[in-house]
Amino acid sequence: MLHHAAHLLPAQGPIGVFVHHNTLHAFQHLPFEEAVVKASEIFGTEPYMSEAAYRRDLARGRIREEDLDAILASQPDSDILPDGRLTINQLRRVMLSPGLRQLDPRSIEWQLEEGDWKRVFRRDLSEAAKKSLGHDTPAQLWDACFERVLPHRLKTASRIARPRDGILATQGVDLDEVVHPLLIRLCSVFLDQGLAYWPMPEREKGFWGAALTILLQPLTIYPRGLEGLGETLASFTQRRLTSEEAILACMEEFGVAESEWESFVEAQLLALPGWAGMFHRLEAEPGLAPHVHLPYALADFLAVRLVLTLGAVKNVLRSPAAWRTESTNEATERTQRLCETAALFDAAQLSGVDSATLRSLSDEALEKWMSEIRSFDGIERRRTFHLAYERRHERQILIPLAKHLALPAAAPQTSRLAAQVFFCIDEREESIRRHLEEIDPEIDTFGAAGFFGVAVDYTGMDDAHGAPLCPVVVTPQHEVLEKAVGDQEDLHRRRRALRRLWAKFFRNGFISSRTLVRGWISTATLGFFSVFPLALRVLSPLAHARLIAWLNKAFLPEPRTELTFERQDDVGREAAEGLLRGFAVEEKVNCVASVLGPAGLHKGMARIAVVLGHGSTSLNNPHESAHDCGACGGRRGGPNARLFAAMANHPKVREGLVSRGIIIPDDTWFVGGYHDTCNDDIEFFDLDAVPEDHLADLDRVRASLDEARARSAHERARRFEAAKPDIDFQRGLLHVQERAEHLGEPRPEYGHCTNAVCIVGRRETTRGLFFDRRAFLVSYDAGRDPTNENLGRVLGAVIPVCGGINLEYYFSFVDNERYGCGTKLPHNVTGLVGVMNGYQSDLRTGLPWQMVEIHEPVRILFVVETTPERVLASIRANPQLDEFLTNRWIRLATQDPDTGVIHICRDGVFEKLEGDEEPLPVAPSSKAWYGGKIEHLPVARIEQPNAPKLAV
Amino acid sequence: MEFLTFNQLVQLIVATPGAVFIGLSVAWLLGWPGKEKVVARVTAVTYIGLTILVAMLAWKMISSGTHMVTVDLGNWFEIAGYGFPLSLMVDRLSLPMVALTIVLVGLVGSFSIRYLHRDPGYFRFFLLMHLYAFGCLLLFTAGSLDLLIAGWEVVGITSVLLIAFFQYRKAPVDNAIRVFGTYRIADICLLLAVFLAHHWFGSGAWAVLFPGEWPNATHTITGPGMTFMAVLLVFAACGKSSQGPFMGWLPRAMEGPTPSSAIFYGAISVHAGAYLVLRIEPLLQSSPVARYLLMFVGLTTAVLATLIHRTSVDAKTSLAYASMTQLSVIFIEVSLGWTTLAILHTVGHAIVRTAQFLRAPSMLHDYHRMHAAAGGHLGKVGEQYEALVPHRVQLWLYSLGLERGCYDALVDRLLLHPLQRLARQLAVQKNSFTDPTPRQPAGETPSSLKPHA
Repeated sequence: MLHHAAHLLPAQGPIGVFVHHNTLHAFQHLPFEEAVVKASEIFGTEPYMSEAAYRRDLARGRIREEDLDAILASQPDSDILPDGRLTINQLRRVMLSPGLRQLDPRSIEWQLEEGDWKRVFRRDLSEAAKKSLGHDTPAQLWDACFERVLPHRLKTASRIARPRDGILATQGVDLDEVVHPLLIRLCSVFLDQGLAYWPMPEREKGFWGAALTILLQPLTIYPRGLEGLGETLASFTQRRLTSEEAILACMEEFGVAESEWESFVEAQLLALPGWAGMFHRLEAEPGLAPHVHLPYALADFLAVRLVLTLGAVKNVLRSPAAWRTESTNEATERTQRLCETAALFDAAQLSGVDSATLRSLSDEALEKWMSEIRSFDGIERRRTFHLAYERRHERQILIPLAKHLALPAAAPQTSRLAAQVFFCIDEREESIRRHLEEIDPEIDTFGAAGFFGVAVDYTGMDDAHGAPLCPVVVTPQHEVLEKAVGDQEDLHRRRRALRRLWAKFFRNGFISSRTLVRGWISTATLGFFSVFPLALRVLSPLAHARLIAWLNKAFLPEPRTELTFERQDDVGREAAEGLLRGFAVEEKVNCVASVLGPAGLHKGMARIAVVLGHGSTSLNNPHESAHDCGACGGRRGGPNARLFAAMANHPKVREGLVSRGIIIPDDTWFVGGYHDTCNDDIEFFDLDAVPEDHLADLDRVRASLDEARARSAHERARRFEAAKPDIDFQRGLLHVQERAEHLGEPRPEYGHCTNAVCIVGRRETTRGLFFDRRAFLVSYDAGRDPTNENLGRVLGAVIPVCGGINLEYYFSFVDNERYGCGTKLPHNVTGLVGVMNGYQSDLRTGLPWQMVEIHEPVRILFVVETTPERVLASIRANPQLDEFLTNRWIRLATQDPDTGVIHICRDGVFEKLEGDEEPLPVAPSSKAWYGGKIEHLPVARIEQPNAPKLAV
Repeated sequence: MEFLTFNQLVQLIVATPGAVFIGLSVAWLLGWPGKEKVVARVTAVTYIGLTILVAMLAWKMISSGTHMVTVDLGNWFEIAGYGFPLSLMVDRLSLPMVALTIVLVGLVGSFSIRYLHRDPGYFRFFLLMHLYAFGCLLLFTAGSLDLLIAGWEVVGITSVLLIAFFQYRKAPVDNAIRVFGTYRIADICLLLAVFLAHHWFGSGAWAVLFPGEWPNATHTITGPGMTFMAVLLVFAACGKSSQGPFMGWLPRAMEGPTPSSAIFYGAISVHAGAYLVLRIEPLLQSSPVARYLLMFVGLTTAVLATLIHRTSVDAKTSLAYASMTQLSVIFIEVSLGWTTLAILHTVGHAIVRTAQFLRAPSMLHDYHRMHAAAGGHLGKVGEQYEALVPHRVQLWLYSLGLERGCYDALVDRLLLHPLQRLARQLAVQKNSFTDPTPRQPAGETPSSLKPHA
C-alpha cells in the first residue's frame, strides 16, 4: 500500500549524482496528453506552458496559423449550428486565435460596466464576421446572448485529503506550518551525509526510533501548535509500536477507513514530496547514499509525519477524526451567467452570428454551442497550441533536413581520413564536432553513448571509492583501478600523502572557523588574511584558477598511471566482491564492437582515432552532476574513453574483431581523452604510449581539436548575455573558462537546455548542418545492419536516455516551481543530499530555472536513418521503447537511407513529409551563421567557399 | 595629497553610495528600466572609487598621526540655542569598519553582478545594496547617537527588504516580518537611549557623551541614568547582532539570496551591534551592571549558538549559528575591555564569513574534492565536548540544539500567541462596539495573491 502510494514521489536521489529521468515516470503508461493533465490534478502543476506564452509564440511566428489549422484538421469535426454555419473546428479555431477575451469572475461586473465590452465590437474581427453581424449593435448582441444563456452551475470542491486541509478550511489554521519546521529539521539531520558537526545520535535505529528518542527528551518545550506532543509520542513508545503499526494506529485515530488508506497516505507523502521521495529512494537503493548507510525507510518517515500531525490536530480538535469537512466554492449564479454570456458574446462576434440568428437558435443547438465553448477549456486550448508548437518545430527540422539530403553530401573525399574522432552522442558535442569538421574536412566524427560500451566500476588514482561509469540501468560487472606505473609509485605515494594533508587542513579550516573556541582563535588571528584569496577569487576567477593550477603542478605533480584492466580468460569472479577484475579478451571485443559496429566505418579506419568522454566541472552549482555524462550515470566519462582506446589498441582484441567483420588496420592507433563541456578543456590520456610514427598524425588532430574547442566555446558564449557579441574565438574560450571558475555564476553552462532532436544515422547525412547544439547525434549505419540487431541496441540505449533528459527539461520548464526547483538563488545545500529554498523548505527536486530558462519545451524528435518498418520493428520489440512511442512521450521520424525521403510517425502510421515552407539557409561558416545572435537559430547548411568541393 | 582634505574625504565616502542610490532610484522613477549593464558599471566604478578614497583617508590619518577626524555638517535644527548637531567622525574604531564595509560590499557587489544576472529582482537588489552601504557608512561614521540611529534604521529596513527578496513565496515574507518585528523591539531601546541622552545629558553627540579619543575616551554620563542608558544600548546591540533575547532571527534571515546573506549576516550588519558596544565601551567600564549583562548575554548565546551550530545540517543555517557564536565571543571580549582584540576579531570574522557564505552554493563541490583527497574517510568530528557528558545528557543536549534552544517555541507561546489573542479579542470588541453584528476577523489570504505561472 505504502509502496503504491510512493510511486508518485520524485525519483531523484542525493544530488551529488544527478540522473536525468522523466519527471512523470509514474504516468508513463498513459498517453502524454492524458498523463500531463492527470499529473497536474494530483500535483497541482501546469501541464503545458501558459496560454499567454503560446500566444506570444503565435505572435512572433514560432507557431504559425497554418499549424493551428493542421492540428484542428486532424481532429474529428461536426456541425454546431445547422447548415455548416459553424462547425466545432471553426469554433475552436477562433477560440485559439484571436481567442476569447478572458474575464476575471471576481471583477466581472466592474469590467463589463467600465470596459468597452458593450459599446463596441472587437477590433480584430474578420471582414466576413463584420459583414454577418450587419447592423447589430454590441448591446443588442449582448442582450441576446444574456437572454439565451442558462446558467450552468459549476461546483469546484477543493480536495480535502488530509487533516490539514479540513482544519485549514474550518479553523483557518495551517497545520503544515506547525508540523513542517520540526519535521524538516528531523529529516535533514537524519539524512545528513556529513555536513553536521554533530551527527544525529542513535540514528542507526532508523528514523522512527531516532526521532522518538530525540523528541522525547525531558524538559522539551514543543513549538506552538504542538503543545502536548510529548504525551502523544509517549503513548506510542509505551506501546512499542513499529513504524508500520504506528501508521495504522494514527490512521485509526484519524478515522481513516481501510478503503481510504491509499489516498490518505498518498496525500500525506505528497505534502513534502522531496523529503518523502528521498527516504523512498534511499530505501530502494541504499547504495545511493554517498557516505552514511542507515536503515532508510519511507514507513518511518510517514510514521513520524503522522504522529506529529496527530499531536498538532489534538490541539485544534477534540477528536482527531473530526477533521473531515465539506468545502465547496460556489460562484454566484449571476457571476456564472455573466461569464458564460461574455464567452458566448465573444464567440458570436468572432463567428459572425448576429442577435437575430442567435435568438432563433433552437435550445439544442445553443446548448451544443455552449458546451463546445466550455469543453474547449484552457487545458484543451493549451494542448492544441502545444501540438501546433511542436508541429512547427518538427517542420523546422525535417524540411531543411530533407532539402539538405537532396543536395550533394559533404563528405571528405580523400583516400584516407586524417583522423576519426568519437564523441558522446550528447547534443552539447554537436558544435565541437561541426567545428572540427569545418577546420579539417579530412576528419570524420562519430557519436556513441559516452560510456563507449565499457560498463565499468572505476576507481581513479585520486578517488576514494569505485563508482559505476555506465548508464543507470546497467550494473557494471567489471572493476578497473588506476595505478601509478612502476617507477612513479613514490610520486603517487607522496601525492596521496600531500592530498590527505590538504584534506585535513581544509577540513580543519572548515570546522575550526565555525566552532566556539577554535573559531575564536582562527577568525581573530587569521581571518583578515582570507580577504586576499576572496578578492582574487571574486574579482578574477581565472587568475585564481591559474594560481591553483600552478600550485597543484608545483606541489602535487601527477604520476603517470595505467589502468589495471587485463584479466586472464580463465580467472573467474571473485566471490566476495561480485565484480570481475578487468576484462577478458572476449569481453573487450564485445565492448569495442558495440561502438564500432553501429558506427559503420565504411571509409576505413584513419591512422589515428580519438575517443573523447565528457563531463563538466563548475562552482556555485549543486546540480553540477546534472551536467556530467548521462550515459555514465551522471559521472565523468574520461576513464571510459581511456579504457576503450586501450582495448581497441590491443592486438588480440583486433584479432577478435575480425570475426565480427570489424577490421582495424595495424597502423591505426586509438587515443582516449576527456572533454569538459563547461570550460571546454580537452585532456588526452596515455600519450606516452603513442607509437612514434603516429605523433605527426596526433599533432594534426590535436591542433584541430584545440581550435575546435575554442570555436565551440565561442559558439556557446553567444547564448550568454554576459559575453560580448563581438569577441574572437580565444576570448570566447576565456569566457567559458571564467564561468566554470566563477564562485557566483549560476549558469556555468546551459547543459542540455535547448535539446530537441536526436538523429540516429550516418554522419554523412548531417555533416555540414548547423543544429545549434540542439541535436543528439548517434552514429548508426543501417547498411551495415541487415539484421536490425544494432538498431535495437542503439535505440534501446538512446531513447530512454535522451527521452529522459528531454522530458525532465520539458517539465522543469513548463512548471519550474513545482516540477523544477525554482530559481537557484535562494538554494541552500542541506546534508549533501539536496537543496532547500531558504532556511527550511521541502527538498527541491528537478532542474533550476537557470538551467532551463532558454529551453523550448518540445518532446524530443527522433530521426532514424532507416525504413519505417525496420524502426517500428525494433521499437515494438522492446516494451520500454514501445511505451515511449505509443504513448507519445517522444516523436519519431525516419529518413530513408537510400532515397532520403522522410516519414513522420503519427500514432504508429508513417506519413510522408510534404511541403517546403521552411528554407535551408546556407552560410560560409558556423560563425557567420550564429555570430552576434543570441536566440535559437534554425537549421542551416554550412558550405565553406574554399573547402574542396565534396561529392560522393 | 592636499587636494582632498579630511573633511572632503569623509563626506565623499559617506555620500557616494547614498548619491548612487538616489540617482538610480530617480532614474527608475522617471521610467528608466534599470539596465543590468549600467547598474553593474555604476556599482563597479563606485566601489573602486570608494576603495581608493578610503585608502587615501587611512593613509592620511596614519601618516599624519591623526587619530580622529570630525566633520561638522551644521545643525539639523536649532531652537533657542538647543540644537541637533550633525557631525561625522572617523576614528580608530570607525576607520576599520568603514574600510571593511567598502571592501566587502564591493566584493559582494562584484559577485552579485554575476549571481543575480537575469533575475527579475536585479535592479532592486543593487538599489538596496547601495542604500545599505550608505546606511552602514553613516552608522559607522555618525558623530552622534542621533545620526547613528538613522544609519541603523536604514541598515535594518534594507535587511528586511532583502530577506523578503523572493516576495512571491510565503516563507521569505513571513520570516522577513518576523525579523522586522524583532528589530523593532530592539530599536525601541536605541530610540529610548537617544531620548534619554538628550533629556538627561543634553546631547547625543559622541564628542559630548564620550570626550576624548577612542579607546581612551572618558564619558560624561553620570548618575542613575548611566546604568539605564548602558543597558538600553546593550539591548539595542543585541538586537542587531542576534544575541541573547533576540537570537532567534538570524537563521530566518537566510531566506534572501546568498550574497545578501553574506554581506548582512556574515559581514557588516550583524557586526553593527559589536560596533555599538565598542563605541560605548568607556561607559561599560564604569557600569558593572551593563558589563555583566553583556558578558552574560555573550556567554549564554555563545554556548547555545555553538550547540545549535553543531546540529545544523544545511549550509546557510550552520553559517548563521557559527556567526552568532563568534559575535557572542566579540561581546564577551568587549565586556572584558579587550577592545583591540574585539576589533581584530570583528574584521577577521566578517571577512571569513563573507567568504564562506559566498562559497556556500559550492559546498557540494568542495566537499566532494575534500572527501576524495582524504581517501574516502573523513575523521569523526563532534566528540570533543559531547563525549565528556553521559549519553543521556548528550541526547538531551542534541535535542536542545535541534529544537534551536526552544527559542521559537518560547517566543511563540509566551509572547506572540498571547499578543495575537489579545489583538483578536480587541478586534472583536471593536467590531461589537462599532458594528451591531459581530464578525470574525478574516485571517486568510485571498487566493488572488497566489503566484500564477
